[in-house]
Amino acid sequence: MRPKENIEKFVRVRKPHVTTSRQMDKRTLDDSFAAMEQTIRTKSAEHKPSVQRISILSRMIKLTAAAAVIIVTTGLIAVFVDRGIGEKPDTNTVSEIVKSPVEMMTAMSLERAFQRGGIEAVEEQSRKAFRPLGLKPKNLSFDQILAEFNGNCHSTGRTRL
Amino acid sequence: MVEDKILVWKFNRGSKDALRRIYEKYKDDLLGLAITLLKDRSVAEDIVHDVFVSFAQTTGTYHLSGTLKGYLSTCVANRARDRNRLRSGTNTGLDVVEALGSSSDGPTEHAIGSEESGRLDDLLARLPYEQREVIVLHLHQGMRFREIAKALGISINTVQSRYRYGLDKLRTILNSVVTK
Repeated sequence: MRPKENIEKFVRVRKPHVTTSRQMDKRTLDDSFAAMEQTIRTKSAEHKPSVQRISILSRMIKLTAAAAVIIVTTGLIAVFVDRGIGEKPDTNTVSEIVKSPVEMMTAMSLERAFQRGGIEAVEEQSRKAFRPLGLKPKNLSFDQILAEFNGNCHSTGRTRL
Repeated sequence: MVEDKILVWKFNRGSKDALRRIYEKYKDDLLGLAITLLKDRSVAEDIVHDVFVSFAQTTGTYHLSGTLKGYLSTCVANRARDRNRLRSGTNTGLDVVEALGSSSDGPTEHAIGSEESGRLDDLLARLPYEQREVIVLHLHQGMRFREIAKALGISINTVQSRYRYGLDKLRTILNSVVTK
């Protein structure tokens, strides 16, 4: 056997055999149990929700549920009103609705004019629009303009201008 | 090992019996370790007491990685090192070595009784604390070098070199004793 193994064996076999005293056992176990109980109590107090917290939580849950129901209902109503229940979804593209960029610009400017000053502002806007063309929109009514936006220009509006 | 896992599982669920069983299983081993490291039975008892109280406070959250014996031995070794640092100003050599087992209560509680064990203890006391710590943890507590390195927060090479130097020194001391 090598010297290193000799010395290792020497140390290993002479491991001290110590026994604890009864006093020490009692003191250590009592203190350990007390520490354990204290830890369990502290943890359970941390995790146990108070009555007030439960009621607040309950109220919050109720309010959240109510808000969720309102939002979903409103959303569904909005969708069905827009499209109509059971109707086929509107698949028209912008280019199909608006025939030309000029029409789109006109529609936008009239829309803004209406928002700004109502029917009077729309009429003023249309007057301004037709003035450079040398046309006299005296006979042009608001209904005719709307009809033109809706794509009926061939049937009514332009013929009268 | 399996028994330890079951004990830890029960301990984490607040079982006092499991804590008592763990204490009964390792108390003597840990006290022996503390005595070997510190050469003072009353301080060693305090350390084992503190280790178990701290361990009891981890109920519900303790996660067993490695062996339970290794964990508890590491706790004892760390506390013993702190105590050793505190009293580093005082002489901890052979002159103040307390007779082991002198404070035990009765015949069934005697500490290291044999002359050989006492002699080894005296020999170990001549080693620097760091070398003694590594030798005792490895040869008495059965901890691997990797475990010791992790527990002490040092590299495995440092542990191995401390162990090697410690054994060399121990051999030299033994040879000198035999020659005399």
